[in-house]
Amino acid sequence: MALRYEYAVETEDLAKYYVMGPVTVKALDGVSVRIRRSEYLSIMGPSGSGKTTFFNMIGGLDRPTRGKVFIDEVDIASLDAYELAWLRAKKIGYVFQTFNLIPVLTAMENVMLPMIFTGVDRDERIKKAREMLTRVGLGERLHHKPGELSGGQQQRVAIARALVNDPVIVLADEPTGNLDLHTGLEIINLLKTLNTEKRVTIINATHDLKMIDVSDRIFWIRDGKIERIETRAEVAVKEVE
Amino acid sequence: MTREEGVKFPLSEAFSFSLESIKRRLSRALVTMASIIVGISFLTFLLTTGRIVSSLQQQSGTIVEAYQIWVAIIALLICAVGIVNTMLISVAERYKEIGTIKCLGAMNRHVLTIFLIEGFLLGLMGGVIGSITGWGVAAIWQYLLPIMRQEPAQIQALIVAAKLWLEFDIKDPLILLSNPLVDIGLSVFIALISSIVPAYIAAKLSPTEALRYEA
Repeated sequence: MALRYEYAVETEDLAKYYVMGPVTVKALDGVSVRIRRSEYLSIMGPSGSGKTTFFNMIGGLDRPTRGKVFIDEVDIASLDAYELAWLRAKKIGYVFQTFNLIPVLTAMENVMLPMIFTGVDRDERIKKAREMLTRVGLGERLHHKPGELSGGQQQRVAIARALVNDPVIVLADEPTGNLDLHTGLEIINLLKTLNTEKRVTIINATHDLKMIDVSDRIFWIRDGKIERIETRAEVAVKEVE
Repeated sequence: MTREEGVKFPLSEAFSFSLESIKRRLSRALVTMASIIVGISFLTFLLTTGRIVSSLQQQSGTIVEAYQIWVAIIALLICAVGIVNTMLISVAERYKEIGTIKCLGAMNRHVLTIFLIEGFLLGLMGGVIGSITGWGVAAIWQYLLPIMRQEPAQIQALIVAAKLWLEFDIKDPLILLSNPLVDIGLSVFIALISSIVPAYIAAKLSPTEALRYEA
């Protein structure tokens, strides 16, 4: 087996500026971080702090104004459109606040979709999708369309879809943002279990404080900069004080 | 990374994806198709009627006035504009879906393919329905009019119309145009041309922009 890199994601002086007429908005302004493999990380900050921009940069969804992003030690700026699509399909799983399932497809078909892009053959696709949906507790809902599922169930389908190609990292943008307290907690626990089980790196952009309990580290972002980085132990100590 | 392990999206998968989208959004598809059906059936009606009349009167050539052809052409142009419009709305409705499949590994050309196949399928179905409708209306028209005028030619008209159905005379471009296969081809062509711009807009969407969009 090939040597596994220690870091799943590295950024170097990452910046993204938006020019809006005479004003330049510094959505992200010089962020250098290293995210270890199989880490459970939360990026916290108020809305407009730059966490979604950061999320888009490390997801290969948007190009930075300055700086570099490495995923599996590969500089993603060096990838062409074809390789970038492969990175998104194979190495990164995405989970969104609004679930973003394809409404015309069933739960099974939604989970099978990323495997079409990575060229998994049909029988294998069906087998893996069924396994993954059963794993997230939806074994009884395989052929339901998103409209026939509750918010929590839809997010479970989305998590199954994100993990089915065995990605290196899962990027979750406010995964609990559209869910009630209880369902949100279930989703957080599911992500944590999968993180431990599959050793997959999970990066959450969130302002849900429930995330702190399960996160290995928390990045606090404000005005496009990392304000501080804390481990769970440090946060816990502060709570005691 | 080798080329073998790159992203794939076989045409068969694109086809079933497009077909599912059409089935799920049937009302929108029917609106798009309706404009094709009206345009194509109008053209077929004009040409078939002209040919029935000319063969009943034992004339060579066809009795289709030039202005009638122009009316049909304008009808088809309007139908093309209708398709562009409904396809653009269809793209706008599916911004999030486009952004999502791009996150899952779809490339621009895959998105382009999905929307072009949708246009193709709409053109095909619209063409089939339109040419049958146009021919049927022409046949009935020519059959009923003599009955109302109490003329004996009604049965003859129907026989002529039936014979015209699959006649394929390459020498006469007008006869060629009223052949159902050519009508369907024309319909597919118009639908594909009209889908190019909407499909291109969909393909060029950046995933972040598409996902930020709130429907």
